[in-house]
Amino acid sequence: MVQLRLPKNSRVTPGKHHPAPAGAGKTKTFKVYRYDPELGQNPRWDTYDVDTTACGPMVLDILIHIKNYMDPTLTFRRSCREGICGSCAMVIDGRNALACLQGHAECKGDKIMIGPLPHMPVVKDLVPDLTLFYAQYASVEPWLHTETPEPQKEWKQTPEDRAKLDGLYECILCACCSTSCPSYWWNQEKYLGPAALLHAYRWIIDSRDEATGARLDELEDPFKLYRCHTIMNCAQVCPKGLNPAKAIAEVKKMLVDRVV
Amino acid sequence: MSFRTPLSTARGLGSAKHGVGHWISERVAAIALVPLVFWGVYSVIVLAKLDYYGAVAWIGSPVNATLVILTVGISFFHMQGGMRVIVEDYVYGHLTKAGALLANYFLCLLVGALAIVSILKVALGGA
Amino acid sequence: MATYEFIDHKFDVVVVGAGGSGLRAALGCAQAGLKTACITKVFPTRSHTVAAQGGISASLGNMGEDDWRWHMYDTVKGSDWLGDQDAIEYLCRNAPAAVYELEHWGVPFSRTEDGKIYQRAFGGMTKNYGEAPIQRTCAAADRTGHAMLHTMYGQSLANATEFFIEYFALDLIMDEGVCRGVTAWKLDDGTLHRFQAQMVILATGGYGRSYFSATSAHTCTGDGGGMTLRAGLPLQDMEFVQFHPTGIYGSGCLITEGARGEGGYLTNSEGERFMERYAPTVKDLAPRDMVSRAMTMEIREGRGVGPKKDHIFLHLDHLDPKILHERLPGISESAKIFAGVDVTKQPIPVIPTVHYNMGGVPTNFYSEVVTKAGTNPDQVVPGLMAVGEAACVSVHGANRLGSNSLIDLVVFGRSAALRAADILKAGATQPELKPAMTDWHLGRFDRFRNANGGTTTADLRLEMQMAMQEDAAVYRTSTALASGVQRMETVQAKRADLKVTDRTMVWNSDLMETLELDNLIGQAVVTVVGAHNRTESRGAHAHEDFPDRDDKNWMKHTLTWFDDASGKVKIDDRPVHNFTLSNDIAYIPPKARVY
Repeated sequence: MVQLRLPKNSRVTPGKHHPAPAGAGKTKTFKVYRYDPELGQNPRWDTYDVDTTACGPMVLDILIHIKNYMDPTLTFRRSCREGICGSCAMVIDGRNALACLQGHAECKGDKIMIGPLPHMPVVKDLVPDLTLFYAQYASVEPWLHTETPEPQKEWKQTPEDRAKLDGLYECILCACCSTSCPSYWWNQEKYLGPAALLHAYRWIIDSRDEATGARLDELEDPFKLYRCHTIMNCAQVCPKGLNPAKAIAEVKKMLVDRVV
Repeated sequence: MSFRTPLSTARGLGSAKHGVGHWISERVAAIALVPLVFWGVYSVIVLAKLDYYGAVAWIGSPVNATLVILTVGISFFHMQGGMRVIVEDYVYGHLTKAGALLANYFLCLLVGALAIVSILKVALGGA
Repeated sequence: MATYEFIDHKFDVVVVGAGGSGLRAALGCAQAGLKTACITKVFPTRSHTVAAQGGISASLGNMGEDDWRWHMYDTVKGSDWLGDQDAIEYLCRNAPAAVYELEHWGVPFSRTEDGKIYQRAFGGMTKNYGEAPIQRTCAAADRTGHAMLHTMYGQSLANATEFFIEYFALDLIMDEGVCRGVTAWKLDDGTLHRFQAQMVILATGGYGRSYFSATSAHTCTGDGGGMTLRAGLPLQDMEFVQFHPTGIYGSGCLITEGARGEGGYLTNSEGERFMERYAPTVKDLAPRDMVSRAMTMEIREGRGVGPKKDHIFLHLDHLDPKILHERLPGISESAKIFAGVDVTKQPIPVIPTVHYNMGGVPTNFYSEVVTKAGTNPDQVVPGLMAVGEAACVSVHGANRLGSNSLIDLVVFGRSAALRAADILKAGATQPELKPAMTDWHLGRFDRFRNANGGTTTADLRLEMQMAMQEDAAVYRTSTALASGVQRMETVQAKRADLKVTDRTMVWNSDLMETLELDNLIGQAVVTVVGAHNRTESRGAHAHEDFPDRDDKNWMKHTLTWFDDASGKVKIDDRPVHNFTLSNDIAYIPPKARVY
């Protein structure tokens, strides 16, 4: 049966409290998931009282402040800080989001919980292991398949056909969607997950691609595709406002179109 | 622990190249059940007003008998399909899963068949 | 010192970095049958190319007549004649083919009505040698870099390029002036790796994070430049740091120049479209250095907007919301999130923000790293190439034109691969590596890992960033630069007093940030020293005490070496190439740079 409790060595224990320095302005408490693989201990929740007047508006600013001035051992991925690289995806206040786009003022409650993306192996602190997620992306062959000899110039595409890629190509592979999907939690070895399926559809619907049928063949599977039960968490959490559930529904519609 | 490459893990056993049939049949059954369930509710109201002989006579009508059989049959078919997905979702382990799937299939078949035979028996005047 | 052991790898080519240029180079090498590794500290699609917005320049002529010679002229003029014209010719001639190649790989370019790649206007891009603005920049809405990077990563998967992801490169393995490979630290298990290769291609990007406010990502720490300096090789033209006119005030996030290409304009506190005064022909579509200077001037003269009168407005509110939605959706979103502005109704508060490093590892147009040896200014360093922002080919000279960076990535990424395929034999025997070649890599790694001084990484980084921000800004003076040199000298000396708290090996981001800071500091030092040295104004280097371009004394590239132990900088120069590649175009002689 599906496992409803965390394995023994993954259960989170209470951790250290880091008070704000004397003379701090308005503080807010952040409860952050900490795990150091070299310690051989269970993960823990450390709490930090952060002087929000000394930080920028986003949760990423909070994390950077903690790392710079309170606890340099805190580890998280970050890069562009403008929501385009997809590095800083994590659970914030019970919801998958990009730390760089999530304002801390919008997080309710007196203790804001920050953890790594759910249901992925944790490498350290807020850094999850996304190997499988990336491999699933690779498995949909995310490149243009053509056999017709390439033209001298560009493949032509009408603005209308190009518009079909909007809402799909903008995906930043942050994994917020897939790791928010219960179906993906329970069956991630077999279900491709919303992100990979969104990408699959991005190539299926590209008017330049010549492998539409083969791509659909590869998806038509009770698990790879049909484990999507339109729970819609993916669309709810996507920090880019995309709708993977809709893309998956379109793939299902196309599969029906093939047979009726 | 596994030394499979990530891509190998992601590809798994490859595509079954089926699934759309199941998906369509679930939807077709669901669509069929919409009018049938409305009709069923209406029938219950009608039946509630009738006495035993009235009810037997009501079932004896070919239209009513057919619709009751369809409602019950399709419901069990639909339930079987839905339960199967739930088992696939949450039950792991080869044997447990196969067992649960078989139990689901056989139970739905058995109870469904029993219901249909009973209805037929009444409808064909055996009560 | 703790004992460290290397895990060994042997390749024909090792590419360091998986942004646009790194992926293109790795892909090309793999396709040429060379055993290629691409090592990168972030997952490829998280590289900073992903943040490029506006587009990629190429004279496709989809929106009207165009010619690569016009593109070349614009690039030369944009570079304020500091660009090497052979390299610029190579870039502009090969640009259209490079864009078609990207399209064939699947980049979702925006389209014209007749199905061709849509091109928009960009700063400094003109027709017929400076007559009027032209639409030359191929765009995928305002997410061109993102579209390119994801497509190129997909293409790398198609070609089974071997990636080593979340490996942090430490240092180049040098053997009597020849590069033999690179060492790296694998973050997710803390192991150290030694990559031996016939050719190392540095594609590590710029070092924008040496400044306090930059459009650059946190990861833009110029690790390749730092490694190059430690390898005893020079960097070139480091004083030329581009300020993008339209970074969002406060957060520093980028608003593409394409916003002005689509018709946006800048205003001061009087509501005046002041660019009309500074560049009457091209107005808001002047090159970035000029727009940034104009904005700084307006603010200085008291015509800035906002309560502190310290920024400028960018207007898009007059544009059709449909156009904004179709062509500039990303920046509309960024403006909402980071400035709280609805672009259809309000102007965006913007300020010139550090964006790009024209300088970098000097290379020729084959992307081979060169150095000055004796009197030879073009001495190739065997086994080492550099591409992209990490390199200084130099096609951007003293100022890069917008959308020329993306084309630089793919054209020179490709040229590096072609050259590697030409000069390397797949599977050729490689000499044995000796511990002496890498002992100092480990020494440095261990020193920082156990650093136990009194200055935290964050404090020293801030000190460097403030020094650079204040003393090597849009406008520079001898006094400010002298102060900058002094302050950076203090910063570099404080490296000995650093404190690292985390001593672990797995994903020790405290240590990684410290190693990155070390990379940044070397480059920041040579930037400010180079700037102090160059007593003229050219392109992005606007020196108020020497306001004119001085072709007689300064038509030359600055070379700077940094001695890691003493922190001392050695300066020399290389001549600018005053010749072209072919007879199809003659050398474009310098003239006054007015738009």
